[in-house]
Amino acid sequence: MSDTVYVQLLDLAAGLVLVCAFVALWRRGLVAIVRALAVQGVALAAVALLLGLHQHDLETIVVAVLVFSLKGVVIPRVLLRIVSSSGESREVEPLVNVPASLLAAAGLVLLAYATTRNVVALDPSPETRAIPIGVAVALIGFFALATRRKAVTQIVGFLLVDNGIALVAFLATSGVPLVVELGVALDVLLAVLILQVLVSRMRTKFGAMDLDQLRELHD
Amino acid sequence: MTLPRLAVALAQALLVIGAAPVLVGVMRRVRARLEGRTGPSLSQPWRDIRKLFRKQRIVPANSSWVFSAAPVVLVSTAALVSGIVPFLSTRSAFDQVGDLFAVVYLLLLGTVFLALAGLDSGSAFGGMGASRAMTIAALAEPTILLAIFALSVGAGSSNLGAIVSATLTHPGRVASPASVLAFAALAIVTLAETGRLPIDNPSTHLELTMIHEAMILQYSGPDLALVELAGQMRLVIFLGLLSNLFVPWGVATTTHPLQLLAAAAVTLAKITVLAISVAVFEVFVAKLRLFRVPELLAASFVLAFLAVTASFFVA
Amino acid sequence: MWNTLALLVPAFPLAAAAVAAAAGWRRSTAWLAPTAAVAVIADGVALSVRVLDHGPVTALNDLVRIDALSAFMILVIGLVAFIATAYGVSYIRAELDHGHTDAAGARIYGVLVCLFVAAMLAGVVANNLGVLWVAVEATTISTAFLVGHRRTRASLEASWKYTVIGSVGVALAFLGTVLVYFASRHAGGSGQAALNWTALVAEAPRLDPGVMRLAVGMLVLGYGTKVGLAPMHTWLPDAHSQAPAPVSALMSGVLLSVAFYALLRYKVIADVTLGPGYLRGLLVAGALLSLTVAASLLIAQRDYKRLLAYSSIEHMGLIALGTAIGSPLAISAALLHILGHGIAKAVAFCSSGEVLLAEGTTEITGVRGLLAARPLVGGTFGLALIAVLGFPPFSLFASELAIARAGVADGLGWAVAIALVLLLVIFAAVVGHAQHMLLGEPAGELEGHHTPRAAGAVLVAGLLAAAVLGVSIWPIERLLHAAARVVTG
Repeated sequence: MSDTVYVQLLDLAAGLVLVCAFVALWRRGLVAIVRALAVQGVALAAVALLLGLHQHDLETIVVAVLVFSLKGVVIPRVLLRIVSSSGESREVEPLVNVPASLLAAAGLVLLAYATTRNVVALDPSPETRAIPIGVAVALIGFFALATRRKAVTQIVGFLLVDNGIALVAFLATSGVPLVVELGVALDVLLAVLILQVLVSRMRTKFGAMDLDQLRELHD
Repeated sequence: MTLPRLAVALAQALLVIGAAPVLVGVMRRVRARLEGRTGPSLSQPWRDIRKLFRKQRIVPANSSWVFSAAPVVLVSTAALVSGIVPFLSTRSAFDQVGDLFAVVYLLLLGTVFLALAGLDSGSAFGGMGASRAMTIAALAEPTILLAIFALSVGAGSSNLGAIVSATLTHPGRVASPASVLAFAALAIVTLAETGRLPIDNPSTHLELTMIHEAMILQYSGPDLALVELAGQMRLVIFLGLLSNLFVPWGVATTTHPLQLLAAAAVTLAKITVLAISVAVFEVFVAKLRLFRVPELLAASFVLAFLAVTASFFVA
Repeated sequence: MWNTLALLVPAFPLAAAAVAAAAGWRRSTAWLAPTAAVAVIADGVALSVRVLDHGPVTALNDLVRIDALSAFMILVIGLVAFIATAYGVSYIRAELDHGHTDAAGARIYGVLVCLFVAAMLAGVVANNLGVLWVAVEATTISTAFLVGHRRTRASLEASWKYTVIGSVGVALAFLGTVLVYFASRHAGGSGQAALNWTALVAEAPRLDPGVMRLAVGMLVLGYGTKVGLAPMHTWLPDAHSQAPAPVSALMSGVLLSVAFYALLRYKVIADVTLGPGYLRGLLVAGALLSLTVAASLLIAQRDYKRLLAYSSIEHMGLIALGTAIGSPLAISAALLHILGHGIAKAVAFCSSGEVLLAEGTTEITGVRGLLAARPLVGGTFGLALIAVLGFPPFSLFASELAIARAGVADGLGWAVAIALVLLLVIFAAVVGHAQHMLLGEPAGELEGHHTPRAAGAVLVAGLLAAAVLGVSIWPIERLLHAAARVVTG
């Protein structure tokens, strides 16, 4: 694959990851948000695949397949199961309304570029130039975590953070050592499964997924 | 401002004035056919305008000069913009002033005057339409600026003709992330600024759902003709911007008459294709509830913003 | 042989977890966990002697490396794990008797507690900072269900908050780890070894300061969330108060310290690359903020387990302050504080478990006259509170005094002064609540629960250990100073 094609495809995939993060902030339907997350997982796997093909590194390609199956297929399916068993499919009005969230997210993209200047400057290559996108997605995930009420959307926020950081990991180092990558993937899967069980328990105890109801513990 | 360039500008303006109603006729026909009707003939909008010019001009009693001036301002700004924007050639007469900001402000001038006229007419629906139109404009104008600015970063100049020439010399730039995002943003804004679905239904009869129609409710006779013509010209201008900024092949780079003729044909073809796709899209989409419109426009603003970021940091 | 001993450290609790999973919770298997803890302590003692005389022990091709600091942490984990799991035997039996949990719940509890301890041990023996990260994440995962053990609404809420905030914190720490790896690769490291702590310390002068500044910031935020430093502490009071008493003892006593151990490892690298000022500033800010949060929220506290949780935040703030000061005396004091706090807080939480089993409520106003009605429970609880407040003869007094002295000597006198004022406020608040609970006439009849002798013995032994340490640190003096030397370089 020629260099310019590789750079364009890499930018396209990284850009798709960022756009999916915005879509997750924009849409109100829970199913649409989970689908956006699935597309983001596929785009993330595409980035890893491109890196592996460009550097002829088998480990990275294996990681790409792992990421595709985990973040593109398994985790969205778990999330859809939570959503479908709940019976509600709409997000209630989040704490910050949608246009303001989108504008705040645009500001977070700027913040990401500002804070990672040093990282890009250390090694200016097409890969590192896309690192700010990963940090931006992580920041958007934090924002979603802080401003969303439904349990599923909080899980989505956590997964956005994780996808953003995974993107940074792939780009900064063409994959962290395989051991750590496997550990990370396993941990994310386990965390999501735990959260799924917690959501189902919450539904039996509280009757809903609205996290606003979780207000018993306070000082 | 040499003579050939002046001629080009004049030709562009006349082309837009002449083609706009026909284009709207095409859109209505396509939509009708898709909905299972035969639809009006392609020259019907022209006939409507001609009919309106012969009708009596009625002005609300308490309105001021704004009400009478607005149609004239609308048509003149639209004509001026169509002279500036590189429809036929990148060598227009107004190169020094013909840049992005001038175009946006001229279009905005027309919008503002129309909204003022809506208020001036004294009817409740006029005020309602004006406030809705301003809400949309407040989010759409920065988006246009940012989206075309993203393209201008790559071209090194905010002159629209320069942007088009830059894309002609570097064709690969069309597929760059900045360009793709800017196109998406500009497409949404085109629908918003020209009052098409899903933001505004151009053929609605219910006043409570009107945005553009509500502002022009009190116009009649030649005023209404001018307002309708201006609306159609703005549609052509936006579609022309979309097509020539992102798919510039066919735009002449000189003022040679033969090249201009060819450019006219190609540009008209491109704009027609875009118009038909808008009409088809309108058939399948429903109007958004009003409080959802700012969400859509915020999304398009974010896309434009990302386009600017991409143009600075990626390409 | 030493490598095998090193590898056995996390293997003991793993084996206990396997048996617990297979056999479930019964009289015989219940004592496996404390036995594993004793084995860990013995292994830790042997390794400490070896490390002090012959230098660090490595295994698995430098993936595992036990130096003085790791050996010290192994001892801390082993001791606290012993107290918590030994008490846990009687706690779970009482819960089973009262019907608060069932056999399945007890089995899951047994397995998860052992996995939890194994993960912590794996973290402190790892040389590779990526493996350390995986271990810390594993502790979050293994404790997620432990916090929600009781399946009440409150514990579900606590479990949710803990899992979400903890996972986010760990994700941030991962970002920091990735950035450190990035910097290391560009300073000459290669492959897996680029994340080895020893390799990073060697390359520290060559690492890019800009990248490291961002990385260390992320790491402090991320691991700081697991430590419970304010403002990332919001999960701590809920999680530590809703978890069953032995789990709270483990989490407060040693999990927070293990997360802080991660920061200590990074401090060695950061101080060379960025100079000591950067991390010092971050840690002082976190410390003072934690102390302020603890002080303000302890005053009107209504739940005694939350009281203990806020006290943990306070002590983590003190440890952070000691680390920020950075002199050998301060670091030794911080490490001693880790040990002392671990033991004292474990005893405090365990005796609070007894109080809960006896009185049935976690509200401070619901408990009166504990000393009169149940002298053993009241006595251990009261003495544990005194230990946690930093009174002599308990070791926390010595470590707090040493941190204060070190701070004044090293230019952070103003921070120490603020900390002492806040400690005074905390003291007043806790004593007020404790006095309500312990003194006075008992509320009603003595109810059914009697503290088993084994549990009581464990608690008293813990208090004795804390007291002995407070009088003289002779048994661990060499190890303590060697561990401090690892951090100060």
